[in-house]
Amino acid sequence: MKIAVCAKQIPDPANEVTYSDGIINRPDEQVLDDTDRYGIEVALQLKEKFDAEVTIISMGPAGTQKGLQQALQMGADKAIYVDDDSLKGSNSLKTANVLSELAKSLTADIVIFGTESTDGYSGTVPQQVSRFLDVECISYVKGLEVGDNITLTRQTVEGSEKVNMPEKCVISVTAGGVEPRYPNFKDIMAAKSKPIEQISLGDLNIVSEQNVEFLNVDTVESSKAGEKIIDEGEAYQEIVNKLRELKVI
Amino acid sequence: MKTLIIGEIINNNLSSGTLEILGKAKSMELETQVITVGSDDTPTIGLNETKQTYIKRSNSSLNFSKVASKITEIIKNEDIKLILGSSTYMCRDLISFISVDLNSSPISNVIDFDLHDGKISTVNSINGGESLYKAKINSDHSLLLIRPKAFDPAEVELNTDYETIDVDNSDIEVFDIYIEEKSGPQLEDSKVVISAGRGMVDKENLEMIVTLATKLNAAIGGTRAIVDAGWMPYSQQVGQTGKTVKPDVYIACGISGATQHQVGMKDSKYVIAINKDEEAPIFQLADLGIVGDTLSVIPKLNDNL
Ligand SMILES: Cc1cc2nc3c(=O)[nH]c(=O)nc-3n(C[C@H](O)[C@H](O)[C@H](O)COP(=O)(O)OP(=O)(O)OC[C@H]3O[C@@H](n4cnc5c(N)ncnc54)[C@H](O)[C@@H]3O)c2cc1C
Ligand SMILES: Nc1ncnc2c1ncn2[C@@H]1O[C@H](COP(=O)(O)O)[C@@H](O)[C@H]1O
Repeated sequence: MKIAVCAKQIPDPANEVTYSDGIINRPDEQVLDDTDRYGIEVALQLKEKFDAEVTIISMGPAGTQKGLQQALQMGADKAIYVDDDSLKGSNSLKTANVLSELAKSLTADIVIFGTESTDGYSGTVPQQVSRFLDVECISYVKGLEVGDNITLTRQTVEGSEKVNMPEKCVISVTAGGVEPRYPNFKDIMAAKSKPIEQISLGDLNIVSEQNVEFLNVDTVESSKAGEKIIDEGEAYQEIVNKLRELKVI
Repeated sequence: MKTLIIGEIINNNLSSGTLEILGKAKSMELETQVITVGSDDTPTIGLNETKQTYIKRSNSSLNFSKVASKITEIIKNEDIKLILGSSTYMCRDLISFISVDLNSSPISNVIDFDLHDGKISTVNSINGGESLYKAKINSDHSLLLIRPKAFDPAEVELNTDYETIDVDNSDIEVFDIYIEEKSGPQLEDSKVVISAGRGMVDKENLEMIVTLATKLNAAIGGTRAIVDAGWMPYSQQVGQTGKTVKPDVYIACGISGATQHQVGMKDSKYVIAINKDEEAPIFQLADLGIVGDTLSVIPKLNDNL
């Protein structure tokens, strides 16, 4: 079984995000998007049961490759990536187009994603890739059980449901069901010798256009900071008064 | 502009998200039709002034890719230019599939849009809601995924008068469908919402939240941290990957206020926050902030209501 996991390097979320012409400024050192750890974990659980090869697929400025290293440290076997200036500010469709071409080049059977990236957060790339690859998309997976079949549990609006994983498909993984593993010192050392390969954009068949034109980006003002009261035992009274004033009680 | 809304059904009715988009489409006087996707037998979703088509699928099959193909066919046949859906699980799947068919990238997390000279421009939230992005769509088709509560819902009278299209099952069978029990006021439509975070310290302490909610006739929400920890079902999660609420009063109990949580509640009219950390980001959007221990403030509040 060949498994590809799409994982993104993003600016460290602890730092403030800045933009140039609507495109997030990406420092040389980017980290693995936490959301993608869930997808990697699912891939590794499959690898433990089957003789699977797990390849990380990524698009975007490679920089110091820290995020890719973090993915390899978790236990993936190798990584391939595309880093091309012309892909800056790509919309979700183009991103999906590039990632599907990479998945094709690996002849991957199963392609696994996070549900939505922390920075882009469009939440559409996995489904788009499935359409490009013409396989089913099992979206919002939160857990798996491996028995005679591989059973995937999907998060639904009302609760959950299960499906058996087909031989070829795309899976998007949401948080909550699996706990991403932490690499130990040995894993961290081992990752250093795992292959990371750059693929040239020219070798891929890109058919989608950039149809979204950037106009403006603004940071949301969230400073409506009102009264702040330090509780010395009586602060509940402030809430009672307020609820009365607001006619909740 | 010829517009299609992809509708959803909740409790034998059009979902609030669908009605909100319909409200916006009406205010813009778009030439609108609705295609609602569901698995109920004869839901009451027909609209008096707007054409409604019901795509009926079986919930024992994961066949959204087939549903999407059907919708793409209709879009092409009827020369529809603008396609709108809520940012829900189903619409995200459908609009993503359709975007590949139409070779037009969708825009997610849209909170407003406009039409100028035949082109759609949008405002959408990015980076976990920290920034607002304005863009113009330059392709033939515009596909938008709209955040809940972005627009006022249309007032409609519903009937059972519509055309139904059945869609085949796929090879992927769905089983063990589990529906979480829902009781008490619902998050989406309550005037008061009380949410709990990890600062409630222990699952058992949620009892005091239940007591408070009963006294205030409020719905109960939570952060992803406590949903992941199994303190509360996912259906009660508020935030980027959960529900968006807009109550008159939102009471955040032991919640740090991560941006991913904020996007789900920041439009609440009045926010009360209780957190022992004076620097917690939730205080930046609280109208009334109590710096204190949830486990001491909430019981006293309960005793005095
Ligand atoms: C892609 C993505 C999507 C996400 N989607 C969501 C989402 O939809 N919804 C969501 O909520 N989160 C979401 N998150 C997670 C989010 O980033 C935060 O991790 C989460 O909201 C934190 O939950 P919390 O406030 O309960 O916990 P914490 O951040 O741990 O905060 C607990 C707070 O309680 C306070 N506290 C502790 N003890 C007490 C006490 N005794 N009395 C008073 N205060 C106390 C602490 O000071 C602290 O501020 C998402 C994250 C990612 C990466
Ligand atoms: N540039 C990228 N490189 C690799 N994977 C990506 C990239 N962009 C998106 N993805 C994958 O698609 C998922 C959803 O991303 P998004 O649609 O941007 O919210 C992520 O969790 C990743 O698995």
